[in-house]
Amino acid sequence: MTLSPPQGNPVPILHTRAEQLDRAVDALLAGRPAPPPVDPGLRTLVDVAAALRGALLPVPAGSRLEARLAARLASRPALGDPIHAFGELARRELRSRNRLLVAGAVSSAAVGVGVTAYAVWHRSALRRS
Amino acid sequence: MSQSRPARAEQPHVPDPDLDAVRAAQADRAAFAVLYRRYLDRVYGYAFYQLGDHHDAEDATERIFLAALRALGGFRDQGSTFRAWLFRIAHNTIANAHRSRARRRTVTLPEGWDRSAPDADPARLVGRGEELRELLALIAELPDDRRHVVLLRFVDELTSREIGIVLDRSEGAVRVLLHRALRELAARFAGDRLA
Repeated sequence: MTLSPPQGNPVPILHTRAEQLDRAVDALLAGRPAPPPVDPGLRTLVDVAAALRGALLPVPAGSRLEARLAARLASRPALGDPIHAFGELARRELRSRNRLLVAGAVSSAAVGVGVTAYAVWHRSALRRS
Repeated sequence: MSQSRPARAEQPHVPDPDLDAVRAAQADRAAFAVLYRRYLDRVYGYAFYQLGDHHDAEDATERIFLAALRALGGFRDQGSTFRAWLFRIAHNTIANAHRSRARRRTVTLPEGWDRSAPDADPARLVGRGEELRELLALIAELPDDRRHVVLLRFVDELTSREIGIVLDRSEGAVRVLLHRALRELAARFAGDRLA
C-alpha cells in the first residue's frame, strides 16, 4: 500500500495511514515485528503503540473474584426473581464501607421518620377519642 | 443499544473461535464456565482500566457476566464474534457505571494501587505502578472514543473490526480513531519529555 492513493480513489490519505498503523499494531499484538510503515511519519506512532503494548498488560482478576463469580453464575436463579434481585442489589451496595455507612444513615433516618409519624398519628387519634 | 450500521453489515464474515463454546453454553448453562474463565481477566482488566477502582471493577465484572449469561440465548453468529458481543455488554455496563457515579475519565490509578488488589499475582504488578500512572494519566486526557479504542485494542487485543462492533462504528472509523489517539499520545509524550 502506498501513501498516495491511486488517481480517482476517494480514500483519504489519513485512512491509508490509519490502515498501515492498524496493521503494525496487529503485528505488535501478535508478537511479530511490526512491518516498516511506508510513511516514515508513522514510525513514531508505532513506537508509541509498542510502549502501550508493553505497559498496558492485562490486570489479573484475582482468585477470590473468580471463585465468587463462578459460584454466582452457577447458582443464578430464574429471571425476574424479585427477592434475588433485591438481595443482589443490597449485597452490591453494602460491600464497601462508605456505602454501608450511607445505608445505615438512611435506614436510621427512615426509622426516625416512621416513629415520629406514628407518634403524631397516635396522639391525634387519642385527641379525637 | 443501537443496532449495526450499514458499513459493518457489508463486512465479510470472520470465523468466531468461541462459537463452539457459545453453542454449548446456549444448550447447557453450566458450559458458560468455559467462556467465563476464558474472558474473566480481560473483562476485569477493561473494567479496571476504565473505572480505576478495584471494587468498582469487580462489581462491573459481575454485572457484565451475569448480563452476558442472561442474554446468551439471543447471541447469533451474524457478523459479530462472541468476544465483540461480550465487550459491547462490558462497554455499556461500564458506561452506566460512569453515569451513575457522575464522573468521567477515571482511569488514573489510586495511590497504593499495587496493594489494592490483594489476591492478584504480585509478580505481575510490582514496578508497574509509576509507569502505569504516567501512561494512564495521558490516556485519561484523550477524548472518550479514542480512550475506549486504545484500551480495547491494547488491553483486550480486540481487532479494529471487533472494536467497531463494541462502539457501533465502522472498522475504518476505528482505525482513524486509533491513529488520532496514538498521534495525540505521541505529542503528549514529547511534550512531557520537553517539560
